[in-house]
Amino acid sequence: MFSPLALLLTGSPPSYQLFTLVPSVMSVLRKSMSFSLMGTLAASCLLLVALWAQKADALPINSQCKLEAANFQQPYIVNRTFMLAKEASLADNNTDVRLIGEELFRGVKAKDQCYLMKQVLNFTLEDVLLPQSDRFQPYMQEVVPFLTKLSSHLSPCHISGDDQNIQKNVRQLKETVQKLGESGEIKAIGELDLLFMSLRNACV
Amino acid sequence: MPKHCFLGLLIMLLTTATETQPAHVSLKPQKVQFQSRNFHNILHWQPGNSLTSNGSVYFVQYKTYGQGQWKDKNDCWGTTALFCDLTKETLDPYEPYYGRVMMAWAGSYSEWTRTPRFTPWWETKLDPPVVTITRVNASLRVRLRPPELPHRNQTGKNTSMENYYNLVYRVSIINNSLEKEQKAYEGTQRAVEIQGLTPHCSYCVVAEMYQPMFDRRSPRSKERCVQIP
Repeated sequence: MFSPLALLLTGSPPSYQLFTLVPSVMSVLRKSMSFSLMGTLAASCLLLVALWAQKADALPINSQCKLEAANFQQPYIVNRTFMLAKEASLADNNTDVRLIGEELFRGVKAKDQCYLMKQVLNFTLEDVLLPQSDRFQPYMQEVVPFLTKLSSHLSPCHISGDDQNIQKNVRQLKETVQKLGESGEIKAIGELDLLFMSLRNACV
Repeated sequence: MPKHCFLGLLIMLLTTATETQPAHVSLKPQKVQFQSRNFHNILHWQPGNSLTSNGSVYFVQYKTYGQGQWKDKNDCWGTTALFCDLTKETLDPYEPYYGRVMMAWAGSYSEWTRTPRFTPWWETKLDPPVVTITRVNASLRVRLRPPELPHRNQTGKNTSMENYYNLVYRVSIINNSLEKEQKAYEGTQRAVEIQGLTPHCSYCVVAEMYQPMFDRRSPRSKERCVQIP
């Protein structure tokens, strides 16, 4: 019965995970309330969790939403990324629709924009570059590992609190790509220069 | 009677419609592209057909990528030139832009020919810095001036070339008697002092700008030479 708690307390999960784990811990605890000893134990554990959570709350929320400037200063991969974007943009005849632009950042505070771009980056990697990975060679095979590296650097980047606007804007971008089908994917590749620059502006 | 009128109107409409329709694909302007130097962005194109080069006029439109509407470029609306200055319309160097050109010749209109997507920051070519030197005893003061940016109407936006890139100046000095070239400076300052020059030698100074982010260099400046007494 205590195993989830023990796991929680002995392991050292990143602080943000505490929040998401608390509700499940609570439900485990509720079932154990019939035993008074367990109850006190649980209560003290709860207290501990609450303390931990408080500590986590005190941490600067976006501190991990950061990328080193050096990531964007390697001329070879910068050139490759921009050339890939150029190639794909030549195949994109839809000049009216833009994925990475003003609308994407609408209502998103500057400090949350790196988190927003993380979402866009991960979507681009999984739902765009992966299915299109045979195309636009040789750039693709060089740019994808680079972007994957940026994505893994950003994996601890989370924000707590209200991210409704961010999710809405990201959802809109995804829907646009999906609605356009394959040409939406080409469009997203054609905007890798914008993705690159937005990541740099938002995360460095 | 009204039926006749309507039919006549319809025929008229149809004929004018076919007239404004593209007569030949070959009328379409060719090689429509931006040529950009120091963020001065000029749209260039070629006639679709050499036979039509007399008496043809061109119409130019532009827009930012993602906008629904094309905007007319009034200065190049019915121009006979084969270029159009869109610097003012493409002032934000980080934005992607498009331009397009249509030709009219002998009452026919071509289709539009569009440029590839154009991002000034990425595509503009930088000229070399202008170098001036003054000799002070046995040392040289070198001043470097980057190319001028397009004039901005908005006041207070006092940005410099260095702000757009992490520009690095590279200054080399050539000892004429030894015919030897040496790097004298690499850095971000516009004013450099070169010391320890040998008396009675003549030296020439040459400079270039380097964009580390793209590993690109500008052409080299004109050599400036001086004799050390």
